[in-house]
Amino acid sequence: MWRWRLAIVLLITGCSKGPEADLPSISGARSLAAEWAMVNEQAASGHLTAIYVSTMRTSARQHLQTTLSALTQPKSPYGNEIRALVAEPADALPQKLRAHADRLKQIEDSLESA
Amino acid sequence: MNPLELTLGVMTAVGGFVDISELVFASKAGSTFGYALIWAFAFSTVGIIVFSEMAGRVAAIAKQPVFNLIRHRVGLKLGLVTLMASLLSTLITCAAEVGGMGLILHYLTGAPYLLMATLSTLAVGGSMWVLPFKWIERIYGLLGLLMLVFAASLIAIHPPWDRVAGGFVPQVPHGLSTKELLNFAYFGVAILSAVMFPYEAYFYSSGGIEEEWGPKDLLTNRVTSIVGMALGSLLAIAILANSAQLFGPANVGPELPGSTAMQAAIPLGGTGLLLALLGMLFAVAGAAVETCMANAYSIAQFFGWEWGRHKKPWDAPRFTLAWIILLLLSLALVLTGIDALTLVEYAVLFSILVLPLTYLPLMLLAGDRKYMGDYANGLLAKSLGWLYFGIVTAAAVAAIPLYVITSGGQG
Repeated sequence: MWRWRLAIVLLITGCSKGPEADLPSISGARSLAAEWAMVNEQAASGHLTAIYVSTMRTSARQHLQTTLSALTQPKSPYGNEIRALVAEPADALPQKLRAHADRLKQIEDSLESA
Repeated sequence: MNPLELTLGVMTAVGGFVDISELVFASKAGSTFGYALIWAFAFSTVGIIVFSEMAGRVAAIAKQPVFNLIRHRVGLKLGLVTLMASLLSTLITCAAEVGGMGLILHYLTGAPYLLMATLSTLAVGGSMWVLPFKWIERIYGLLGLLMLVFAASLIAIHPPWDRVAGGFVPQVPHGLSTKELLNFAYFGVAILSAVMFPYEAYFYSSGGIEEEWGPKDLLTNRVTSIVGMALGSLLAIAILANSAQLFGPANVGPELPGSTAMQAAIPLGGTGLLLALLGMLFAVAGAAVETCMANAYSIAQFFGWEWGRHKKPWDAPRFTLAWIILLLLSLALVLTGIDALTLVEYAVLFSILVLPLTYLPLMLLAGDRKYMGDYANGLLAKSLGWLYFGIVTAAAVAAIPLYVITSGGQG
């Protein structure tokens, strides 16, 4: 009985570790990469204001850094991918950012199906 | 009935329908599940229409606001529990709106988020101090109509209209894994909560009393509830559909609340972006006013204090002090550094727990012929009321387990 209780407590407090526990972070990072790509793409088309572009890029990077620091396995393939994404320049090519998003999506899908 | 008043009432309801939670969950639901959750918005909208109409009718006939009734119906002890739960959930919701204002102003001006949250809170508080109830409601509601740019964007991007229309049919998409099904259920519950927030009933019924509604205003109440909220809900659905079309295929979650504004920028350019950000700002600011005042109304009505924005602030001093303190508390929550999106999730989660306690006493009183006479609930209102009460109760039971299992809809 106590094992069930412990399992529930661990579930509720989010104490689990490993790729499974990192899935929400991977999913969040994938979306942030895609949002950043979309901002850069629309900025190149002149659809966005300079202030909006700058604040969105900064927010995306800050969120990615938070995500990176919250990973239980920062030296995993997805950790390395997020680190590479954070290292991209603010005005990185949308295709490059999208490639990061695609790789994170592949990792996310493979972990989900495992 | 004055047609101009009625039109303004409807437009105000449309512009005031969407708040930060709907912005967030509509966008996420569209990108994750395509058009499959449109029905959840439509279904929840019927629920809020049913209860808003009841709240307005009770205000017009029994001349009693919702929190008065709760205390009389469920007794002092359970009433106090309801009050505390409602205060907490609405305070978190108000903080989420304050955080939302700060974020949107940050995207508009580039100035620091917390500074913008502080300045916008002061501006909202100033408007609440200076303006009478009707004008507070109208200014924010009418400026919130800038959100119509999301409907224009949807038309401009030519979505598959047959699939958008198909989304109105209740459904669970085929081929989802257990995890995805749970996620789908979590989004369904979150949308129900975001659309049927308890503060809406408190604010609406108190507003009816502020405006001295009587039997002659019942048609205004009915039209405002039905037409205004149905059209307002279409704005949230437009955001969901834009997201399904533009964000889902591009792998965008979205994680940043500012991304929602890109839905208007993609087809309409810089003008679309500015209109979207301004519309979001006024819609969220309006919700901040409503949540803050709803909480002050609840406290004042429960303890029998003088209340109302039709009075000068110093003629209802405890009510005035209550809304000022509640607004500052909401700002204080934001200033602790809690992420605005986390506040949105907590707001939705706590609110669904309070919904049954809010709507049961309201429904019982609206059906009570002793108070309501010939205006008591008819068969349709009674049936829909019990149906939605059952659904919000089931959703309240499921909310926390779903939140934990899905990590707040993250998977």
